[in-house]
Amino acid sequence: MAHAEHVTAAPAILQEVKPADVPRAELVEHNRSFTWITDKICGIIEDKTPAWWWVCFSVACLVACFTVGGIAYVVATGVGVWGHRSPVNWGWPIVNFVFWIGIGHAGTLISAILCILRQKWRTSINRSAEAMTIFAVVCAGIFPVFHVGRVWYAWYLFPLPNSNVIWQNFRSPLEWDVFAVSTYGTVSVLFWYVGMIPDLAVLRDRFYASGNRIRSFLYGLFAMGWRGSSRHWSNYEMAYMILAGVATPLVLSVHTIVSFDFAVSLIPGWHTTIFPPYFVAGAIFSGFGMVLTLLLPLRAIYKLEDLVTQYHIDCMCKITLATGTMVGYAYAMEFFIAWYGANPYEGFTFINRAFGPYAWAYWIMISCNVITPQFFWFKSVRNNTTFVWVLSLFVNLGMWFERFVIICTSLTRDFLPSSWGVLSPTVVDIFTFFGTFGVFSVLFLLFVRFLPLMAMAEIKAVTPQADPHAGHNILTDRAAAAGKH
Amino acid sequence: MTSHAATAPAALPAETTTASAASKALTAGIAGIALTIVGYFVSGAQVAAMSWLVGVTYWTAMAIGFLLLVLIHHVVDASWSVVIRRQWEHGLASFKWLALLFLPLLISAWVKPGLVWPWMDLSHPIHGGTVGTDVLYAKKAGFLNLNMFTGMTVGFFGSWILLSYLLRKASFSQDNDGAAKWTFMNRRTSAVGVIVAALSLTFAAVYWVKSLEYHWFSTMYGVWFFANCMRGGLSLGIIIMVWLLHRGDYKGVYNTNHIHCISTLAFAFTVFWAYVTFSQYFLIWNANVPEETFWYNIREINADGSPNQWKYVGIIAILFGHFVVPFCLMLSYRFKTTPVIIRRIAVWILAVILIDMCYNILPALKLPNGDPQPFFSITLLWVLTSVVGVGGVCVWSYLKSFPTTKLIPIRDPRIVESLTHHE
Repeated sequence: MAHAEHVTAAPAILQEVKPADVPRAELVEHNRSFTWITDKICGIIEDKTPAWWWVCFSVACLVACFTVGGIAYVVATGVGVWGHRSPVNWGWPIVNFVFWIGIGHAGTLISAILCILRQKWRTSINRSAEAMTIFAVVCAGIFPVFHVGRVWYAWYLFPLPNSNVIWQNFRSPLEWDVFAVSTYGTVSVLFWYVGMIPDLAVLRDRFYASGNRIRSFLYGLFAMGWRGSSRHWSNYEMAYMILAGVATPLVLSVHTIVSFDFAVSLIPGWHTTIFPPYFVAGAIFSGFGMVLTLLLPLRAIYKLEDLVTQYHIDCMCKITLATGTMVGYAYAMEFFIAWYGANPYEGFTFINRAFGPYAWAYWIMISCNVITPQFFWFKSVRNNTTFVWVLSLFVNLGMWFERFVIICTSLTRDFLPSSWGVLSPTVVDIFTFFGTFGVFSVLFLLFVRFLPLMAMAEIKAVTPQADPHAGHNILTDRAAAAGKH
Repeated sequence: MTSHAATAPAALPAETTTASAASKALTAGIAGIALTIVGYFVSGAQVAAMSWLVGVTYWTAMAIGFLLLVLIHHVVDASWSVVIRRQWEHGLASFKWLALLFLPLLISAWVKPGLVWPWMDLSHPIHGGTVGTDVLYAKKAGFLNLNMFTGMTVGFFGSWILLSYLLRKASFSQDNDGAAKWTFMNRRTSAVGVIVAALSLTFAAVYWVKSLEYHWFSTMYGVWFFANCMRGGLSLGIIIMVWLLHRGDYKGVYNTNHIHCISTLAFAFTVFWAYVTFSQYFLIWNANVPEETFWYNIREINADGSPNQWKYVGIIAILFGHFVVPFCLMLSYRFKTTPVIIRRIAVWILAVILIDMCYNILPALKLPNGDPQPFFSITLLWVLTSVVGVGGVCVWSYLKSFPTTKLIPIRDPRIVESLTHHE
């Protein structure tokens, strides 16, 4: 009866529907089966550790030593070995902190926001992007924690009762950062882990079947008894959606608060109302840049072209283009309002950025963040993965320079010429930052080797064979039903 | 009953229904315009012109909202919104009429400079001197001058009309020949159009609204206007959808998920608007720089320090009305998917967007002692007549365009995906 009513409701206009032929790109190419997808992704973990992995891991460990050594030196001697001096008291640590936090943005964006927006293409890239988020937050956290000087007092960042009755300045966005970043890190880990549970169970079962009881036990421990029942899936989907809903405002709040670190001040070039959305757009931009940097080599090494298709690369390039253009809009609007506002200090700051002692950094920033993504307008560029990868490196470079420009140009040339100065990073500064790429790489390589690189269950759900409507068409179905009746 | 299936009811109700509604809308529009002219004689040219600016800006924001929705639809190759897109395209027909309706403001700028925008009159008194002797104006004179204003305004409308023409032409042509080239053409137009629209709406907001108090500046202002445009376009889209559903046009064409999607988008932009507006307010409040805070101060207190009506407009209408109320209501799935309820929420949002426009424009109207004119004054009446006047013409243009094409883009490559859209 209900079906009959449904049929009678079909208006005549539907009989005229005859769509033009512009097929959608497949999210999994070559009609790969569920088994193929499982074997492909689990194979990365199950196969013998490849030689390239050991080489990369060794190099990454070596590079990470720079951070470990740099931090040890700082702790042993004091933050005076870093190059920040008045007037640039924040120096490199805040530049590096904002840089890594920005990279940490895209993972949750891909996972949470694209999930809420029902963008199915996210399924091939979300897992590695989430991992990237967590590792980037780890790298970001190093700088403010050790910048406190006596790191053993870092717990003072939290409002815990103490014998000196010292309380934090709750009106400072730096204190808000503590809560925002720690909450964000916690939710990101939860989101990453919950999403991984069905895949961990697959690995548990496969290792059990192959007789590797130790690994089966370990994966089983983290799979938390997942059996894939309907109830499990129902609870899982609900938990995942709730976490996506929680993570979405969090991901926006983190970089908004990071922008407040600067925008709440009166420093020329910092106090500007567009900072919050501009920082968020910049973070997404840099995050996608890093996702491309990481995924394209992995795609080539593990021959994942059927899972990370050209369509995925196209989408990521287009988001990079869109966010890069938004960042360009913000740069232009800052410049315009600095002139329109007719405040001589603001005006000077922006002229100084473009033509002052740090002009080289400014133009690197403009070239990398505004001009580089414009290449993604061209399909031929997006189809050239090597070129896309090179451009993604420029995006990463440009976004580091953006933070450097914002911080250095404003602080080195503020209101009083008598307080002007320069920022000269020390070797310790440079090595500590350089080493964080090693820390990040070590963690990411471990992830690639021991955890499912892609969300198998989610990828399977976007294949044609998983679509309950596959092969059906509302129009033909209705016509057939009408004929039957 | 089932036999009706083979001979499904006509999709489009008689064109005469639309024609009748169109003539009613036009009549309302002419009446609104006539009453605003009465306002010119009752309250003076400045009040009438400012009210007219509110009306034109408000409806232009709606049309820009439709334009942005169509552009974004094509850029992201969306599917769910195909069945709704045609109505947005009809809404784009209003741009040429909005340009015409903006003309009185442009003429007044030339005939009587300073009537609306004080910087156009160099003898306009300001802070004990005049605009001509104001050092801040001198620095901005390269941007804030009548020639630039005229040229830019013509450019804004020209770009919106051109984009609308291209988007509509390609979409309507596809109904006839079903060629894929129209889809690709619209994607290209939209990719460039998004940038053109972003820049034009930003500078329209700067010239038309922000420069009313030309000492003030905020980098966020264009984003604020963008958020209102999107909210307006989405809310008006919801009202049109529910209207067509109740009329019978959309029966069997769209399902609950379509209205859920557009309502969710409206919810998202409610949050975005709040984010943008809060960020602007917070950063200015926190920095407490007089060059910036004065804009908010005149919306809170009079010269003698007593609170004025705008303070309560800010708290009640802007904070609660514009954000808290729609945010709380649209958290509910049932509210978002029940046509009658979501229509009421959409009407509410449209009303508070109008108040937001008033909040940004009308305090530039000063009393003899320099305080802003209160919100509840006869000006509000002329604002309403202006909104009806401009709105009547816009609705008429939509209804005139409506019967000229198919109800939905029947040859769009994503039309089947849209018709079968599910969560």
